[in-house]
Amino acid sequence: MNATVNVIRAELFKALRKRRTYILAALQWVLLPVLVLIAGRVVQVNVSGSFVDEGELVDTIIQVIASPFGIARLSLMGPSYVSPTFYMIVIALFAALLIGEEKSQNMWKTALVAQPNRLAVLGGKFVVAMTLYAAFLLGAYLSSILFGAIGMVFLPTNFTGEWGALLGLYALQWLHGAAAFMFAFLMIFLARNIALGIVMVFFLPALLEGLYTVYRTAIGFQPLNRLNVIFQALRLRTTLEELPRYFFTYNQYAPARSPTFELVTALGGDAAGSDFGPFSNFLGAGITLSHATLVMAGYAVFFGALLTWLFLRRDVQ
Amino acid sequence: MTAISAAGLTKRYGRVAAVEDVSFDITEGEIVGFLGPNGAGKTTTLRLLAGLIHPTQGTSQILGRPVPGSGLLEVGTMIEEPSFYPYLTGRANLKHASLLHGGVSENRIDEVLEFVRMEQASNKKVAAYSQGMRQRLGLARALLWRPRVLLLDEPTNGLDPVGIAEIRENLRMIAREGVTILISSHILAEIEKVVERILAIDKGKLRFDGPLQQLLQRLDAQTLSYRLAATDHEALNRALRTLGYTPEPVDDRFVRVTVPTAEASRLLSQLIEHQVEILEARREADTLEGAYLRLVEEDGRPS
Repeated sequence: MNATVNVIRAELFKALRKRRTYILAALQWVLLPVLVLIAGRVVQVNVSGSFVDEGELVDTIIQVIASPFGIARLSLMGPSYVSPTFYMIVIALFAALLIGEEKSQNMWKTALVAQPNRLAVLGGKFVVAMTLYAAFLLGAYLSSILFGAIGMVFLPTNFTGEWGALLGLYALQWLHGAAAFMFAFLMIFLARNIALGIVMVFFLPALLEGLYTVYRTAIGFQPLNRLNVIFQALRLRTTLEELPRYFFTYNQYAPARSPTFELVTALGGDAAGSDFGPFSNFLGAGITLSHATLVMAGYAVFFGALLTWLFLRRDVQ
Repeated sequence: MTAISAAGLTKRYGRVAAVEDVSFDITEGEIVGFLGPNGAGKTTTLRLLAGLIHPTQGTSQILGRPVPGSGLLEVGTMIEEPSFYPYLTGRANLKHASLLHGGVSENRIDEVLEFVRMEQASNKKVAAYSQGMRQRLGLARALLWRPRVLLLDEPTNGLDPVGIAEIRENLRMIAREGVTILISSHILAEIEKVVERILAIDKGKLRFDGPLQQLLQRLDAQTLSYRLAATDHEALNRALRTLGYTPEPVDDRFVRVTVPTAEASRLLSQLIEHQVEILEARREADTLEGAYLRLVEEDGRPS
């Protein structure tokens, strides 16, 4: 236990002296809220009082996107909709800092002599990764309140919102990061090269899931054709059709994407009655949060076990 | 008490054996030189002892505890060129290592920095350090937690003569505190003033394990190399050939000549008899690529 605490202290010491940590935090904590406030102001100045502004429509839109709660909700959702997702960028870069630098800077020979308990080294690095990620998400939540309050000076917004429920989604998104960090650690450690490891973290799940989607769209599982006959014979058809429910990315971002329909409805859309087809999973529909959390726990156990096995066995130079 | 113990240590990469069946015991407080040409298996052996790589066969122990294990907390290492986080200062790199290990005070960081004369530069980022500064900082880091065993791999690599002398002096001081030191080098002269016992390795196999004097006698019993400069370079070459030696040009000024030890004392007088005016004569440091390999080739088996 002491060894793990030592590793946590050392890795925090290192991470807090790396400029990258602050750049990532600034992007999430400052840039996104500022952009949202600018958007809110633009809408207010240009649309308010125009022919589209019936009643309190514009004020409602501004409240939905640029109120303290609106910014906090967008700060959770926004990073999950860029590609590669900002969450994965943050996770990959923190993972590279914590487990990739030892290889690139030839530091394993020093780190594993200063602390030869490899399990403690891996455990400590994982705890630090999760701590930094928690600070990153909590900072986004708190900075939304701050910037939202600043916005209240020049925008017709207030503090209304389901703050507790939103904080719960932030916490769940953080928890889902455990599997993502295990995956990122594994890829970067496996690749022995930071750049290749990061590329694998960004694109490997998307590539596998994309190939599945192409197959499903182009060929499908329903008709009995030459390609599907094997799946049919193995009674895998239903399993394959259900596969997207277990995809890494869909489940990973489920908490962040879950307010999507609520937001669409708040902006006047008819999200509940729409069929988004193959985009349902992408938009956070079709899977419950408890399902997503269970799936991510499974991924965390799988990647964690593989990573630990490799880390304890591998020779380091 | 045995500080370092290796029993049948073997490391293979595919079919290639980097280290094969290496066994030795080093008593606490001993300073042992680990000699061998580049690629002989020195670094692999040190990595095995430090728990960085896993043996294919055999075991090792540090202070009676198996490797890998808690015994490694008593070990300080400097394996190959020391590496650091370049965006941290020298002091911050030491702080990071001390936090990782645990139980190291701020005062101790100051002590080791002072010991290697790096107090002034310790607040600069390591990216700006010279090779010599990195080498000294690497030694400071190896000493941070007052290790009882030091594993040093070519600690003088890339250093100028002043730097080499400084490291040598540092090692003598560390040894006086009873620290067990296993220090590898491919240059006998670099460590012969520090060590008491030699382990010599070649092609992954231990070829010699004994007192330094015994190895020196065996090397001296064969040949010695000299660098010679004379007023007339051509006359010197002619005289050496006449005497039956083969001069090897070093540069415009010097030639190298290897002579049997028994004839070494007569070399200068013979040259003078041949009317050669010698300006400078230096005995060359015997490198293991040269002298030791000759010993191994002629001996062909471990002593």
